[in-house]
Amino acid sequence: MNCQEFWSTIPELGDCEGHRHLLECPACAARMNRHRELEAGFRAVAAGLRRVEAPPRVEARLRSAFRRQTGSETIASSRRWIPVATWAAAFAAMFALAAFLVRERQPAAVVPPVQRTIELAMLQPQADYEGFIPLPNAAGLVADEDDVNLVRVEVPRSAMIALGLRLQRHRARRAFLELAVWPEKEELRCVSQLLP
Amino acid sequence: MTSAPVETDDELLLRMQSGDEEAFLTLYRRRQAGLFRFALHMSGSMPVAEDVTQEVFLALLREDCGFDPDRGTLSGYLFGIARKLVLRHLERGRSHVALDTDSDDYAQPELAVLDDPLLDLTRREGIDALRRAVQALPRRYREVVVLCDLEEVDYADAAVALGCPIGTVRSRLHRARGLLLEKLHQERNPRQALGTLKPVRCVS
Repeated sequence: MNCQEFWSTIPELGDCEGHRHLLECPACAARMNRHRELEAGFRAVAAGLRRVEAPPRVEARLRSAFRRQTGSETIASSRRWIPVATWAAAFAAMFALAAFLVRERQPAAVVPPVQRTIELAMLQPQADYEGFIPLPNAAGLVADEDDVNLVRVEVPRSAMIALGLRLQRHRARRAFLELAVWPEKEELRCVSQLLP
Repeated sequence: MTSAPVETDDELLLRMQSGDEEAFLTLYRRRQAGLFRFALHMSGSMPVAEDVTQEVFLALLREDCGFDPDRGTLSGYLFGIARKLVLRHLERGRSHVALDTDSDDYAQPELAVLDDPLLDLTRREGIDALRRAVQALPRRYREVVVLCDLEEVDYADAAVALGCPIGTVRSRLHRARGLLLEKLHQERNPRQALGTLKPVRCVS
């Protein structure tokens, strides 16, 4: 084994005490000694700094940050009535609004149901309303119904979160809900959502 | 009597993500010192090391922290974040060449004291020389020496932290040790080191 083979087969410094090549080659033995001294130096430097650590204030700040982050979740779980109340309030408001608008459009009852769709946010560009995603358990709810009105409403992000809809990956401050209204049955269901 | 098994980092992370503050603090206390020292060695600045340590764990608190257990250990991942943050500081030119210990808040860490004063002095000088030599290494060699030789991070974790293959870690470490030996040899034998300089001709 020559010097190059020795150093390429033994890259680590341990477990080569008494290796045949080291006994035969003074140059490599000296080099190995220098490496061992360096290792001892590393250990000494590491030992000198072993007690060095982040000041306690870092832990205090992180603890506060952790509590701030999880605090909202704790409050939410301890006040389960809030989403329920928000749902109820939102549905009541939507139903009142939808009923009002449906009554306003009574003379136009001859218009086909699809055209009777009420566009509440006509001031917004049409492109905003493309891409509504059906909500779970709402698919097919409206398709076969004749006497249904669709109401699209804009709601703030906070309301969507309160309604329990997942928005983590969306930064938009507003969102849209599509509500199906059955005037005769006096029933209202949320069927799809749009996150612009 | 059997002692309770120590929870792994991954188990603590899972508990932490479900809102367990104690798990978060256990994880922090287990990993903060190594990360702090790594940032200190790399930046030479206590305030930077403090900032980096804090930022590493704040990053871990985020929902999309990006840790993937299939790609390596949590320790390697945390060192990787620390490295990126330190590099950001270095790029901004806010690094310090030597350890910044001017402030009373950041007293110079005491080295181990030995019984023999002469030996102690010798050891201290040698240790200081080695610390200076490590800090003078180019960044890519300094980080691998700090991780593997000073913090005793294994090569696999170091590879995750540095974002390179294990073979690259080995070769950089080998080269870094060579550079350190050369530097220390020059410090011990300054005349010999001067002798290795090539003469230049003065033209004016």
